[in-house]
Amino acid sequence: MAGGKGVTAADAEDAYLVKRAREGYVEAYAELVDRHGQLAYRVALRLLGNHHDAEDVAQEALVQAWQQLPGFHGDSAYSTWLYRIVTHLALNRIRGARPADSLDLLGDVHRSREEPVLDVERDLTVDAVTAAVTALPAPQRVAIVLHHFEGLPNEEVARITGSSVAAVRSHLYRGRRALTRTLADWR
Amino acid sequence: MTGPGLPDDSTRALLADPAGTLACGADVDELIEQVADGRAAQLTEHQRECPHCQAALREFSLIWAPVRMVAAEPVRLPAAVRSAVLRQIRKLTADVWYTLEMADGGAIRIAARVVARIARDAARQVPGVRVVFGRSTESRIAGLAEAATLQHRHPHAAAGVLGRTAVVDLALAAEYGQNLDTVARAVQDRAIADLRSQAGLKDITVNVTIDDVVD
Repeated sequence: MAGGKGVTAADAEDAYLVKRAREGYVEAYAELVDRHGQLAYRVALRLLGNHHDAEDVAQEALVQAWQQLPGFHGDSAYSTWLYRIVTHLALNRIRGARPADSLDLLGDVHRSREEPVLDVERDLTVDAVTAAVTALPAPQRVAIVLHHFEGLPNEEVARITGSSVAAVRSHLYRGRRALTRTLADWR
Repeated sequence: MTGPGLPDDSTRALLADPAGTLACGADVDELIEQVADGRAAQLTEHQRECPHCQAALREFSLIWAPVRMVAAEPVRLPAAVRSAVLRQIRKLTADVWYTLEMADGGAIRIAARVVARIARDAARQVPGVRVVFGRSTESRIAGLAEAATLQHRHPHAAAGVLGRTAVVDLALAAEYGQNLDTVARAVQDRAIADLRSQAGLKDITVNVTIDDVVD
């Protein structure tokens, strides 16, 4: 899990890179992509449930983040700002309601070829969790992914989604209940 | 499959009831939250004594184990996506060759070709300059200066711009009989002054090559 932290040395380094990227240094932005690109992809993958859409949305988010750097004034962590962009784009994609071409929250690259039996079990588990998460209504899905998968506190989820902490808590309650019911049936 | 604490049917019935509470009165959603937040082992005073709560916490922990497993696995950005993003950004940058300044009201951009033109027009005002055009110079010093703006410079552009920094190359033919060093310095001074006043650039390098003299 990631996130859920205050201002850190990493945030200060991000601020420096953002400043240089805003001045036009592409290499500074490349460093930001190396630091946070996986965040964009991970969130997109968990919200959308398939690699194809996740790659599209992560790419779009990272290019859009570059284009929107003039509007980023550093009043939040860069990661919070990127979470906002990728969540927004993923929500747009969800509303577009394209069917998923595969179910997997994790990348193929992490699959072990040495333990095929465990691999199958793992894949089934990942598929079940992915299906359960992507079956949630969008607001619950976003709250669950940002809080329980990304480890962000409710206050930051509220900042990212532009809603109140009370609304986030409400979505989390309902999302957790639905997820628990689905996964209890799956077992 | 049956959990160690609650049989499946009773779990389902409990989860199906929106206002579900255990026999002891404990709130189901709060127990799920405790498990989902990774606090299942942190028992309250009541939970330490309550078999219902302990059974429910064990059951919900089993149900949530796959979620916690998936959440803990690392996900990396596919290399192809990283390359595509940087390619797209470099293309955006290369296509426009803008200076970039963030003002309170938004971004101010001035195309590199405009920067080059300002420098060229400035050079034309200098006595002793007959013909002037922008081009890339090949001296070692120009190379070093260019390296600083490499990502923002078209190989054949007369100006490389990066943020509020610009490197401009001017090639000119001077009037025969002039002190060429004086002409070149005057061209630099004039071009730098105009770029500062007209384009708001701060750090400016103007490379001047006098490659001919004309009568």
